[in-house]
Amino acid sequence: MADTKSGRYANSNATSGPSGSSSSTPPNISQLVQGPANLECKDFQEYLRTRQTPETLEKLYNYPPICLAVYRDLPEIARQFIIRILFVDQPVPQAVVSSWGAQRCAKEQQEATSCLTSLNVWRVTAIPGGLAAWELSPTFKKSVRQILLGGGKPWPMTNTLEKDSKPRDIAFLDSYAMSRWRCVLHYMVGTGNRNGTDAEAISPDAVRILLHANLMKRDERDGITITRQGFQFLLLDTRAQVWHFMMQYLDTCEERGISLPECLSMLFQLSFSTLGRDYSSEGMSHQMLAFLQHLREFGLVFQRKRKEGRFYPTRLALNVTSKESADATTAIVTMSASEEEERMQDRGYIVVETNYRVYAYTDSPLQVAVLGLFTELLYRFPNLVVGVLTRDSVRQALRGGITAEQIISYLEQYAHPNMKLVESAINSKSCLPPTVVDQIKLWEMERNRFTYTEGVVYNQFLSTTDFVTLRDYAQSIQVLVWQNEKTRTMVVQKNGHDDVKRYWKKYSKSAG
Amino acid sequence: MGPPKKSKKERSGGDKFAKKRRAEDEAFTQLVEMENDSNDAPEAEGVPGAASKNAEANDDNIDTDEYGAKDYRSQMQLRQDHSNRPLWVAPNGHVFLESFSPVYKHAHDFLIAISEPVCRPEHIHEYKLTAYSLYAAVSVGLQTHDIIEYLKRLSKATIPEGIIEFIRLCTLSYGKVKLVLKHNKYFIESPHPEVLQKLLKDPVIQKCRLIRNEGEEFIQGTMDGKAITQFGTKLPPTAAGAGTNPTEEAAPSSATTGADGNTAVPDDITNFYEKIDKEEEDEDEANLKTVSFEVAQEKIEVIQKRCIEIEHPLLAEYDFRNDTHNPDINIDLKPAAVLRPYQEKSLRKMFGNGRARSGVIVLPCGAGKSLVGVTACCTVRKRALVLCNSGVSVEQWKQQFKMWSTADDSMICRFTSEAKDKPMGCGILVTTYSMITHTQKRSWEAEQTMRWLQEQEWGIMVLDEVHTIPAKMFRRVLTIVQSHCKLGLTATLLREDDKIADLNFLIGPKLYEANWLELQKKGFIARVQCAEVWCPMSPEFYREYLTTRTSKKMLLYVMNPSKFRSCQFLIKYHEQRGDKTIVFSDNVFALKHYAIKMNKPFIYGPTSQNERIQIIQNFKFNAKVSTIFVSKVADTSFDLPEANVLIQISSHGGSRRQEAQRLGRILRAKKGAIAEEYNAFFYTLVSQDTMEMSYSRKRQRFLVNQGYSYKVITHLKGIDTEPDLLYGTQEEQGQLLQLVLSASDMDCEDEKMPGEPGYRAGGGGTTKRTGAISSMSGGDDAVYYEYRRKNTGSVHPLFKKFRG
Repeated sequence: MADTKSGRYANSNATSGPSGSSSSTPPNISQLVQGPANLECKDFQEYLRTRQTPETLEKLYNYPPICLAVYRDLPEIARQFIIRILFVDQPVPQAVVSSWGAQRCAKEQQEATSCLTSLNVWRVTAIPGGLAAWELSPTFKKSVRQILLGGGKPWPMTNTLEKDSKPRDIAFLDSYAMSRWRCVLHYMVGTGNRNGTDAEAISPDAVRILLHANLMKRDERDGITITRQGFQFLLLDTRAQVWHFMMQYLDTCEERGISLPECLSMLFQLSFSTLGRDYSSEGMSHQMLAFLQHLREFGLVFQRKRKEGRFYPTRLALNVTSKESADATTAIVTMSASEEEERMQDRGYIVVETNYRVYAYTDSPLQVAVLGLFTELLYRFPNLVVGVLTRDSVRQALRGGITAEQIISYLEQYAHPNMKLVESAINSKSCLPPTVVDQIKLWEMERNRFTYTEGVVYNQFLSTTDFVTLRDYAQSIQVLVWQNEKTRTMVVQKNGHDDVKRYWKKYSKSAG
Repeated sequence: MGPPKKSKKERSGGDKFAKKRRAEDEAFTQLVEMENDSNDAPEAEGVPGAASKNAEANDDNIDTDEYGAKDYRSQMQLRQDHSNRPLWVAPNGHVFLESFSPVYKHAHDFLIAISEPVCRPEHIHEYKLTAYSLYAAVSVGLQTHDIIEYLKRLSKATIPEGIIEFIRLCTLSYGKVKLVLKHNKYFIESPHPEVLQKLLKDPVIQKCRLIRNEGEEFIQGTMDGKAITQFGTKLPPTAAGAGTNPTEEAAPSSATTGADGNTAVPDDITNFYEKIDKEEEDEDEANLKTVSFEVAQEKIEVIQKRCIEIEHPLLAEYDFRNDTHNPDINIDLKPAAVLRPYQEKSLRKMFGNGRARSGVIVLPCGAGKSLVGVTACCTVRKRALVLCNSGVSVEQWKQQFKMWSTADDSMICRFTSEAKDKPMGCGILVTTYSMITHTQKRSWEAEQTMRWLQEQEWGIMVLDEVHTIPAKMFRRVLTIVQSHCKLGLTATLLREDDKIADLNFLIGPKLYEANWLELQKKGFIARVQCAEVWCPMSPEFYREYLTTRTSKKMLLYVMNPSKFRSCQFLIKYHEQRGDKTIVFSDNVFALKHYAIKMNKPFIYGPTSQNERIQIIQNFKFNAKVSTIFVSKVADTSFDLPEANVLIQISSHGGSRRQEAQRLGRILRAKKGAIAEEYNAFFYTLVSQDTMEMSYSRKRQRFLVNQGYSYKVITHLKGIDTEPDLLYGTQEEQGQLLQLVLSASDMDCEDEKMPGEPGYRAGGGGTTKRTGAISSMSGGDDAVYYEYRRKNTGSVHPLFKKFRG
């Protein structure tokens, strides 16, 4: 009796050897080979929409700072709507609302409307006469009114403080914040902790967040290593990194016994504070003080001593809610000279040559570490790193779950300004040498040479005749994938399985 | 220790022929042995000790950082204004230069003089300081302290101590003494009396000194050398200035505008640059005080060797204008011969101080090396000997001389196995290396010519494709021929065995090396699109490939049907475009099979001279012959200016040189071509998943370092729809596989060339008929016979291999 096993059979044109676990038809292959999904980077609105139920949203709206943040994050038209109906105590008919905008802006208006609905800022009610109307969520309304007009409980951090005897200036805060934040990044690329100083280390809590966020994974062999999402994370700009990280933190904060709305509220309060000013932590709850210590670790606030009732929010905290566009414009105005220089360095420091050489004008250990993920580094000069892209180095990165696309986009993103002046760069979209781009992709492709066919295994035939009969039949209807007469094993395509099975039943019946 | 001395004395002895023969045989066997034995000790002989110093050694105990990179950060300090300075100097002698720096031009000229280019792509160039490159720098007149000082000023960071030490070591004793032939007497000359004193304390050198009067002191002298700044004396001076010398006027002005226009250039760099410039001129113009002593002519070799041993290698210079002993030959450049800026620059390096220096000039193939050679001969105007490596290129050199100079047939004598012109009274003799170093019995006529050749004192010896000859063969040439100065020409100063170093001391330092990418940008050489076409191995071939033994593997991947189809497709495609295509195959079996199947003419080793020339003529002028197949005989000096497409189906392992030489076949600038677009194509067909892939990567290294980039083509567009391609069906492919599997071992091998290990020179005069061992013993199988009958016209490589 033939024993049939449903399973998948991998067929390769170069090396034959089944690779069991994977499945199905070619279109899915890339997905399947590349493994877990890409890094999802959500902005605030998306976060609220996807992670929070209407009930929890309602809970969040009890906190005025959150409402203010939501309000600021809304599209302009939506903000107009809110202001117009904020002090109207009865529902406003939908027709009225839609009449406020010109016809040609209908699309934008539609977007604003759906945005407000999805965030549960307003909801549909019926008014007498059967017309549909909009009504602001009462909690939201109350909180926003409070922000605009004052009243309610004062924010805890606004308590007045004595003048700091040793006030910290903005430049100091910036460098402090960046050095703290880089500790996290260094830890991710595995350069942290090496020098052993305490200031460089990151807490187990932070590690837990990284693991939770899938930015790093625990590997049996190598301990904790960076994941493909982690690599993508490194490619983000600092603001987006902090935001993503904090969102992941908030996901886990309930486990620590800290309430999510409180944290979020605190985070936004910080983002509305003034850079370079000191604030008081007096009157904060126990949980909030714990949260503050975490923020201190990541560099969002500066605090001299754990017990000191005074802290300075840093630029990282201030930028957490601002959108990218806003970030760019305010950055120019407020950015201190040192950071500006740093930014200049961040942008465009890599030269990629047609002979696969990579020259990076940097001495930042982090940038070198990222580069070291996929290049073989040759020399370190005081302000230059010389490396070369080799098949081995790129394959190592690919093995680590980094895609060719990510490597290329990183190199493109930080390409040296001179790279963009080359003839070929002007003619094509990419400023990298086309051959290098092609080659990196080819190196990736050569790893993906399996073609997968779904199939069913037939084995344990009792006699060779049985086997040959069934094999010949399968071949005649062209569903045979693979066969081996010695072991009396054959694989047929999945869609041919029914036919072959039927034939086998008929055959064995007639034989028996 | 070392090869036997074959000095003149020995040769002029009574039984000189017998002796000479013996010596030659010895040398030849030695030559073969040397080639087979890669780690032979005498290799270092003839090379001064300092040359073996290697800056890389400075790196041995350098810390590496966590990524395995060599960490130089502790060794150097970044300077304040580092962004205005263009280079970094690593402790291991590697120098990195920003090509986009405002002082790039200054730094580039300087670096090319003192170091070897490693790679020169678009943005950042890498150079390497070596003992040889520094030797070359000194020999063109740079001083130790200038080199160090300028390097310091150009560098973004401080220069590591080790490098300064290295430069000192390599330059201090070099280039101080010159061997000058003046008024037919040999002098050891130096501007430093103390160095001469030191030399004279050496007993060996003392013996060589020729003292005409008792108690003679040093001969005080002045260098009255006036730089030769224009080549082609026939031209009226004004026209020459305008026509051939545009760069000279342009260079200083552009340097100053560079300095004025960009204030970012630190002053010390420009100042120093000007100073060095001036010094070079000073050396040219001013009369330098020198001291010298005369040496006996017959002791020249002894003294040269001794000087190398005591670390004062002699620079050979030839004061040809004061040589009255050797008659001038009446030869000049034609007015139509206009030198390109880089050709002129290279010649200026050679004739910089009014004398002729010996050395090597490196120009890409197709960039006009022959014109440089012809111009050098016309400048010296003494008897000239041109050596090249094949009969065809002998013809081509003759053509070049007739094209560029006033020399006519009566002045140019060819000396090859097929054309032996009367040498007496001629001014220029063109021959091949193998003719000179030939050890078998020659015809009476050839013997006469050889004797004449040996008796002459040649003014200049031009050595074409100088990289191709092994050092031993080269030494032989030098002992046979007496020449005052030597000019080596090559496109690729590199050998896979890295024995190129010897040339530095056998001929002279590298005088000039052009930047391929720059010449390409300026349109002096063709813009080539390099492509690597991946041909998947058909399953049947791949199965055999995996199981078969090594020698057959090669034939399997060369004969891969999809490679054949790709090749055929590309040939068709380019024929339709009206291009001229050369297909290269090292493997003769494949070469013949491809060519016969596609019905194209082919040239390989056994093809006779006449047939070769006929095929080449047809390729040049016959529109119907737009594709030819050639074996590696055409690698060098096959001048086919019409060709603009090159397809490589099999090659010699991972040879970088061969790759560059082959590219050179299509590099000659195309007429009427727009400089923006690619106007030449270089395809390499490789069988996927075979050894060819890694070979191909290796081969490309040199060109990639010159800034070329290879495009990988995984699928040729349109190949599936193209009708009439052969080997489309499985059946045909099966037949091909059978053919490959039944091929003999000899077919699996590359063609052997003279000078390669394993090559046996075929004796010209032998008439003894020989065949393969297998055929003598009747072991040839049917397939083999059938194959032979098909190609009765040509000689099988087997015969070549077993003859003599």
